Amino acid sequence: MWSRLRSLAGMLFRRDRFESEMRDEVRFHIEARAEDLARTGLSPANAMRQARMEFGTEDAIKDDCRQSRGVRWLDEISNDLRYALRLMAKTPGFTAAAILSLALGIGANTAIFSLMDAVLLRTVPVESPRDLYFIGHGKGVRPGYNSNYPLFAQYRSIDGVFSGITAYSPTAFKVSSNAGLENATGLWVNGSFHDVLGVPMALGRGFSGESDQPTPNPTAVISDAFWSRRFGRAPDVLDRTLIIDGRAVPIVGVTAPEFTGMVPGTNPDITLPIAVRAIAEPDYLTMHDTWTDLTIVARLKPGVSVARALAPVDLALQQYMAADENSWIKKNNPDAFAVATLDPAARGSGRLRSQYETALKVLMGMVAMVLLIASVNVANLLLVRSAARAREVAIRLCVGGARSRLVRQFLTESLLLALCGGVLGTFIAIWGTAGIMRIFNSVETPLLLEVSPNTRIFAFTMAVSLLTGIAFGLLPALRSTRIDLTPALKDAPVALSGRRWSMSHLLVGTQVALSIVVLVVAALLVRSLLNLRTLDAGFEGGNLLLVTVDTAGTAVAPDARLPIYLALLDRLRAAPGVRSVSGSKSTPIHTSGDGRALVMPPEVPDTFEARGAFANPITPEYFDTLGIRLLRGRLLTDRDTATSPRVAVVNQTMAKYIGGDHDPIGMTFAFRGEPKDLIEIVGVVQDTHQMNLREAPPRTVYTPLAQADSIPSYFQVEIRTAQDPAAMITSVRQMIRSVSGDLVMRYVRTMDQQINASLVRERLLATLSAAFALLALVLSAIGLYGVMSYTVTRRSREIGIRMALGAARGQVLGQVMSQTFAIAIAGTVVGIVTAWMTAKTLSTFVFGLSERDPATLAGVAVALLAISMIAGLFPARRAATLDPVRAIKAE
Amino acid sequence: MGKNPELLPGTLDMLILKAVSLKPLHGYGILLRIQQISGEALSVPQGSLYPALYRLEHQGLIAAEWGESENKRKAKFYTLTATGRRRLKAETAEWNKLASAIGAALGATPDEV
Repeated sequence: MWSRLRSLAGMLFRRDRFESEMRDEVRFHIEARAEDLARTGLSPANAMRQARMEFGTEDAIKDDCRQSRGVRWLDEISNDLRYALRLMAKTPGFTAAAILSLALGIGANTAIFSLMDAVLLRTVPVESPRDLYFIGHGKGVRPGYNSNYPLFAQYRSIDGVFSGITAYSPTAFKVSSNAGLENATGLWVNGSFHDVLGVPMALGRGFSGESDQPTPNPTAVISDAFWSRRFGRAPDVLDRTLIIDGRAVPIVGVTAPEFTGMVPGTNPDITLPIAVRAIAEPDYLTMHDTWTDLTIVARLKPGVSVARALAPVDLALQQYMAADENSWIKKNNPDAFAVATLDPAARGSGRLRSQYETALKVLMGMVAMVLLIASVNVANLLLVRSAARAREVAIRLCVGGARSRLVRQFLTESLLLALCGGVLGTFIAIWGTAGIMRIFNSVETPLLLEVSPNTRIFAFTMAVSLLTGIAFGLLPALRSTRIDLTPALKDAPVALSGRRWSMSHLLVGTQVALSIVVLVVAALLVRSLLNLRTLDAGFEGGNLLLVTVDTAGTAVAPDARLPIYLALLDRLRAAPGVRSVSGSKSTPIHTSGDGRALVMPPEVPDTFEARGAFANPITPEYFDTLGIRLLRGRLLTDRDTATSPRVAVVNQTMAKYIGGDHDPIGMTFAFRGEPKDLIEIVGVVQDTHQMNLREAPPRTVYTPLAQADSIPSYFQVEIRTAQDPAAMITSVRQMIRSVSGDLVMRYVRTMDQQINASLVRERLLATLSAAFALLALVLSAIGLYGVMSYTVTRRSREIGIRMALGAARGQVLGQVMSQTFAIAIAGTVVGIVTAWMTAKTLSTFVFGLSERDPATLAGVAVALLAISMIAGLFPARRAATLDPVRAIKAE
Repeated sequence: MGKNPELLPGTLDMLILKAVSLKPLHGYGILLRIQQISGEALSVPQGSLYPALYRLEHQGLIAAEWGESENKRKAKFYTLTATGRRRLKAETAEWNKLASAIGAALGATPDEV
């Protein structure tokens, strides 16, 4: 083996020496033989000739020698490559067009695959992630992972199936710095989190086996990104202490850069043990009836199957549910906790995957079609060119060239084109993903996705390029080497196919069909986005600035919150350019408010689902600032105070629900579990979309903030401005700081930005699909133009004869156009039928129209037919303006 | 070169190994040596000698070195490597076994059946 490698390496790197030595050796052999022959009496010249004859065909033998060394294939490949490069250089226009269209196709595929990789495929970089499982619960529904600490404790006592079990919940911290309080993303974790998961550390240690009980000596682990941002990667970071939510916590470890937690798209800055939470919330470890976002993850022991592990886990859940404290869950929401589940945790938790999975698959399908269109273009160009090379091919076949060898040569060329396209496509993809990430990052909590190229992405691009090269190269290669030799060798017009319809026409028809599908998808997605954008959301969105302030974890006591908030509103109201200011628990297109269970008026049936409504405590200026119209009754006023009778304004949906056909004004309800007076409905306002534009407005009750039983730590401020709200952001920030150093501004954004943020997925789909559709359209138009041009060229003699025989120019034009039209209409019909049949895939994305919207389908069909006809017009006009004499003489 | 019986397929490699096992030889020398040691009974077609030599060198069974021929000319000499020696021994044994088996089979008389 070693000797073979060495000899092969010798061949590769000392090729010249090999050749000259072989020459010398053969010459020595022939001369030595000639000398021997001369000794038998032959003349030197005859002896030499005789020796040569005996030796045989020198070149063939040398070739055999080369093959003995296993390098002939190498020679052939390098010959093919050189030949392909020469051809490519000779037709730079063709080469550039082919490489560019392939690069765009491959680049689009790589870009979308990078996203798929980041969202769907990447596993969390911990030890053996495939042994990790989430313990969830739920029957017949998507399993829920929300748990609470007592349930975690119950699972932890299971013996024998898990080698470790831990839990985490995302949170937010406030860290003191020189510039005041700073926001940090965070994670509460069980005391063996890093140990059980096997989290890679950059510095220090993680948590391993710490108790979850309240501790006087807490410690913190920080992320690599936070280490960079906050400490400039100072090596002595482990000697430092952070003030987190007012508590001094020494740093004991920094996680490795590749670890960004268990929730894809996020990267918690600071990880604290649950033991710290237990100090601030003493009942956290024992609270049964609250389902927090505590996610439980366990590592299976080697050799233990999921089914075997599930039995004791389910038993533990049943035991937990049997406890008296939990009887209400069993009664009210039986399915959600009926059985335990174990789900693979290798790719982390969170909604990112379920949110984007279908969207990414739709985009992947579209880019695959775009690549197919690009490939068809190149295949057609190659077919056209192979017609030009038919004579050369015929000669090579005649002199005994093997067909397989010729096919290989054609394939080398197409693979080379595809690989060039792949390389260029990789750059296009890197540039494209950066653009896509800008859509993702235009929101208050940006998605932190790792989309930089990795080996999997490179392997994908490589595979796609190779497959493409073979796909578009094989057909022309096979066809162009299976030609009728006789006419090809004569100077007769060389045609791969004498028929009026050829393979090229079929391919172009396919392109049209694929373009239709891509265009329909894009049109539906763009129209859905426009529908969402122009939707009447129930408020006036322009010139509105939204600010979220936060007092959680600061020195501000809960009962001191309201005065600070009101002082802030007064301060903002006094600022120039401000028309109106209000405060609330929730704002539209952001959150719905507190989900509360209501004690309904006796007229309304009392079922579990029926009780739910969202409560939004507001200051009286809320409706005025947001431009929400009053429909009946009155709005809230300054006279609705903590001591006045309790009142509420409801939205239309709630009014209809609670009052039916009756006027709800004057009806009363109460918040369940609140031993206070009944609340009287005094007004009805217009519905507003709350969570996002897509979801129907929820049942909402607006109550005076002054009458709220508790003042929220997160407080939304709405500012209606006279001019561009974005221009006020800096001054608003200063005003907040001037009111109180303990007021932390979490987010500031205009309503436009907030709406944009709620439409990230829709914008991603609409923008990308529109770009892909444009690409598909341009590529197909070029394809149609190219093929029709070639058809005209090939038939110019025939056209010339017909014109000489009296055919009018209009007839010739009509003939070419009718052929173009036939191709376009056939492709369009196939495309529309395909789009119709695959429409259901889009049902979750379309808004305000059917996924089989007839107007969209018809519009796309007409647009594509029109563009096809324009693409066909140029070659048709060329045919019609042919000079018959020259056309006939040309051949 | 006389009209000698064709070489059996697969035997050329063995003969080359044998030839160079006696003494380092150049290509033409190997041709002559095979003729000589086979008592002029076997002759190697010149066209297949060099591809075989290159293949054996590629496989590491023989090694090549440039040296001086009998008439003071530069020539490429082949020697047997250790691997080649082992291969030759194994192939010789194999051949002898096969030859005697075929010989015995062909020498069978009606009585022995």
